[in-house]
Amino acid sequence: MSDFKPILTEHIHTENSHTLEFYRSVGGYSALEKVLKTMAPDDVTNEVKASNLRGRGGAGFSAGLKWGFIPKEGDKPKYLVCNADESEPGTFKDRLLMTKVPHQMLEGIIIASYAIQAQLAFVYIRGEFYSEYLILEQMIAEAKEASLLGKNILDSGYDLDVVIHRGAGAYICGEETGLLESLEGKRGWPRIKPPFPAIEGYLKSPTIVNNVETLANVPHIINRGADWFRAIGPEKGPGPKLFCISGRVKKPGVYEEPMGISLQDLIYDRAGGITKDRKLKAVFPGGSSSPILTAEETEDLKMDFSGLASVNSMLGSAGIIVMDETVNMVKACLNVARFYAHESCGQCTPCREGTSWLVKILTRLYDGNGTRRDIEMLLEITDNMGGLADFSLGSFGKTVCPFGEAVSWPVRSFIEKFENEFVACVNIGGAVV
Amino acid sequence: MPLLKIDDREIEVAAGTTVLDAALANDIEIPHYCYHPVLEIVGSCRMCMVEIEGMPKLQVSCNTRIGNALPDRKVDGMYDMVVSTKSDIVKRARENTLEFLLLNHPLDCPVCDQAGECFLQDYSFRYGRAHSRFEDEKRVRPAEDLGAGVVINQNRCIMCTRCVRFTREISGTGELFVQQRGNSTKISILEDKPLDNLLAGNVTDICPVGALLSKDYIHRNRIWNLDRQPSVCQECSVGCNVDIYHKNGKVFRTSARENLDVNGYFICDTGRYSYHDYEAVERVTSPMIRKDKKWQKISWDGAFKEIFEKLGRKKEGDSNNVAGIFSPFHTSEANFMFARLMQNVFKERAVIGTLPLPKEEEKKFPGGFRISGDCSPNWRGLTEVSSYIYEDIFNELKKQKIKLMYALDDGVNRELTQEWKDLLRNLDFLVVQTYAMTPLAERAHLLLPGAAPLEREGTLMNDSGRIQWLRPVIPLKGSSRPDWKIVMEVMNTVGKRELDYSHVNEVLAEMNERIPAYEGVTFFKLGESGMSINEEARES
Ligand SMILES: Cc1cc2nc3c(=O)[nH]c(=O)nc-3n(C[C@H](O)[C@H](O)[C@H](O)COP(=O)(O)O)c2cc1C
Ligand code: SF4
Ligand code: SF4
Ligand code: SF4
Ligand code: FES
Repeated sequence: MSDFKPILTEHIHTENSHTLEFYRSVGGYSALEKVLKTMAPDDVTNEVKASNLRGRGGAGFSAGLKWGFIPKEGDKPKYLVCNADESEPGTFKDRLLMTKVPHQMLEGIIIASYAIQAQLAFVYIRGEFYSEYLILEQMIAEAKEASLLGKNILDSGYDLDVVIHRGAGAYICGEETGLLESLEGKRGWPRIKPPFPAIEGYLKSPTIVNNVETLANVPHIINRGADWFRAIGPEKGPGPKLFCISGRVKKPGVYEEPMGISLQDLIYDRAGGITKDRKLKAVFPGGSSSPILTAEETEDLKMDFSGLASVNSMLGSAGIIVMDETVNMVKACLNVARFYAHESCGQCTPCREGTSWLVKILTRLYDGNGTRRDIEMLLEITDNMGGLADFSLGSFGKTVCPFGEAVSWPVRSFIEKFENEFVACVNIGGAVV
Repeated sequence: MPLLKIDDREIEVAAGTTVLDAALANDIEIPHYCYHPVLEIVGSCRMCMVEIEGMPKLQVSCNTRIGNALPDRKVDGMYDMVVSTKSDIVKRARENTLEFLLLNHPLDCPVCDQAGECFLQDYSFRYGRAHSRFEDEKRVRPAEDLGAGVVINQNRCIMCTRCVRFTREISGTGELFVQQRGNSTKISILEDKPLDNLLAGNVTDICPVGALLSKDYIHRNRIWNLDRQPSVCQECSVGCNVDIYHKNGKVFRTSARENLDVNGYFICDTGRYSYHDYEAVERVTSPMIRKDKKWQKISWDGAFKEIFEKLGRKKEGDSNNVAGIFSPFHTSEANFMFARLMQNVFKERAVIGTLPLPKEEEKKFPGGFRISGDCSPNWRGLTEVSSYIYEDIFNELKKQKIKLMYALDDGVNRELTQEWKDLLRNLDFLVVQTYAMTPLAERAHLLLPGAAPLEREGTLMNDSGRIQWLRPVIPLKGSSRPDWKIVMEVMNTVGKRELDYSHVNEVLAEMNERIPAYEGVTFFKLGESGMSINEEARES
């Protein structure tokens, strides 16, 4: 594993790596040229399908499969949206890709658009990313100038425009259908599915939404082939992966590693271990929406889709948040719940009401006014809004979008794995630490 | 067609039907809030969840469509879908959704106008938990005026967004929107853009709880104290179906009544609040004669005698003809009797027609709702039952120098032109049958008190040719009589007949025989939703 060389972030330390000139100097846009000159749209989709590239935005769905859902018939326009909303707590990898190698993402966007025969693509970037937005605008200007965008790209007869659209600061606008509503100029309320975006997305037309990192992988797959890609890490979910490590570690940051790297390596080797060499207590492995893992669970844990599924958690956005022995779990849990209560779009009953009910109870517990019954209530409420991660019947799918699960799974995991701290709050009359 | 099994019932449905639509069409209750048959599906209240065999999670029935399953995928070898609306897991999901909905709800049913017809109350009773497990303080927010006579009690809102979608999809005006997010979401308007559209009142009908209230009805009565009369709006030629809630001769509220062949689920605010206009006019409740420029009450017998003397005899000199003015505000039965009076009694002396029709611009809304430009309810019925008429009789009256006139009048809002006023002033005898002191009535020599709009019984035909049953909501006032009956009595007096219909259905039976469009029409068949004109019979 140590012989792995970064692929997506290979050039981030070079000055001006964000310019078109630099990107071209390291072979940039050769994949696009190959696609436009030698491949039919379906060939592109099939190659990506064969690579087993899975979405890096959270759900981990096969990118090639998703592109294949775009209807071949019908005269509706098709759209591609690059999801650059990156608002999952503990996640900051897309930002790195956009600021350092934006053209890699853009090349992926153009190739993916060609595959689904879209003539218009969007980058939906979170509103807080202003300087990043400026970089993207420069990227677009350069690409247009070089005939990489606009009419008749590289003399191929293929036309594509890309529009950068800024969000206004809502976490839920990262959820793909909330994003599409927002892109249409409406309130960012996720849509009920079906229909799925590939059938009815932007302006009710077929639309593919992919994460920045997902798309950044595409040029490399085209250049080096699906077999090469599949050989990086586990075959069912392979490829290079950006891991964001934050929290109580010595060297927080983004680390590119092959899928399947051990969590221990990431924490103790790449991130230099726990702050002040304290003991590890718990970890969010995939952003704040993933169930937390205890220190024991992190042992021998492979960071890939199936490795995390085996401990009833998920890779999510690969935002690894490390908590050491000094972290009070009731407080951390309350902190997470507050975030979700603040970000719930308010559309569906269980999430709108449940998130703030959780906060009320957790606050009460944290302040020392809670009871044992409150702890049971927390579990019941999470079950009623999102449910158990064991996928038993009726325990999930209670909300319009996966936000319901995104809040209930982690909250539940705090209580189930650190119940003693919640009980202590009741017994001692508040949180210690 | 796919075969659906819901609980223990088997139902064939068209492919693409949602589980909720299929259930409701077959009288199977699945509780729901955000679903409304003509609004976009949002699936957000999570009340309508059901269990579907082969699906790992519960599904919202409002957004689950039934298709044809492949032969080897059919459940039990025959069903395209098997749905349970009653399993334990479904019951629990409903209990939980209701619990969430009630967390911040004030439970102030004793002072809530929706109580008695509230879906939160009903579903909680049927599907909810007996006790609240919420121990914290509830969110309390002040009520707000949204404009157009609609106020919102924010605490009772369950955020189903029906009202928002209504203003976007049906009225197309989009005044309402959702403000804030999470637990702070609320229905709101922009400060300088309150509700302002002719359909606004409908949001109070479609709000499933007591959040949107009509100022007109707030705290005026309790719904269970009131009687409901299915009726038909008389403010334009669309003939929207309404329910009128009343008690002891007093009307408290009008709401839309569903009729997919007429108005769908909605009515306009003109119709909704029209009962106030009927109350506001100066009523005529007794026969009256003008003596020395003053009105004097007289008996019905006296009135008929007067008519006999003024209209019954031929005179020498000027035109001896009698102008008969039909009214599109009256039932077909009243106009039918009036036509018979003209044809069979006054015969060649009769010159029949109407006053100029009150017209406005037709209004059409994005959701398909229409307010007709014809502000009377029965123009088409009138044209069916009277063989020939002048739409505006003015020129004919002038040409023939008419001196005698008998008018059915109810155009309360009608303005008379100077020309008409002059013409009326020069009449020798004008008898007006009316419920109110209209501009025409003010110029009469004799007034015959008829029924007010909400007192009438008979049929109306809307502008698309649908015959509907207009039922009386409140009793006749004073000594006023049904209009068809007054005309019958004039026929008996002037024409020396012995007609003796005691109920309006006898008039309708007579129309069955004589008017092709009314062949086979009975009140029983009209029921609550009416029937389309018998085009075939009419053509022949
Ligand atoms: C609450 C919520 C927030 C999300 N936020 C993001 C986000 O910020 N960025 C992102 O790429 N995907 C986000 N997603 C996932 C998207 O819905 C979608 O699955 C993803 O963009 C698809 O791209 P991919 O297949 O390339 O991963 C979010 C999902 C949920 C439920
Ligand atoms: S689950 Fe929460 S965030 Fe998602 S649609 Fe429902 S209310 Fe909105
Ligand atoms: S005011 Fe009534 S109709 Fe509007 S969202 Fe609230 S509950 Fe629904
Ligand atoms: S549209 Fe016409 S019939 Fe319908 S409620 Fe309005 S005025 Fe009455
Ligand atoms: S009625 Fe189906 S979710 Fe609201």
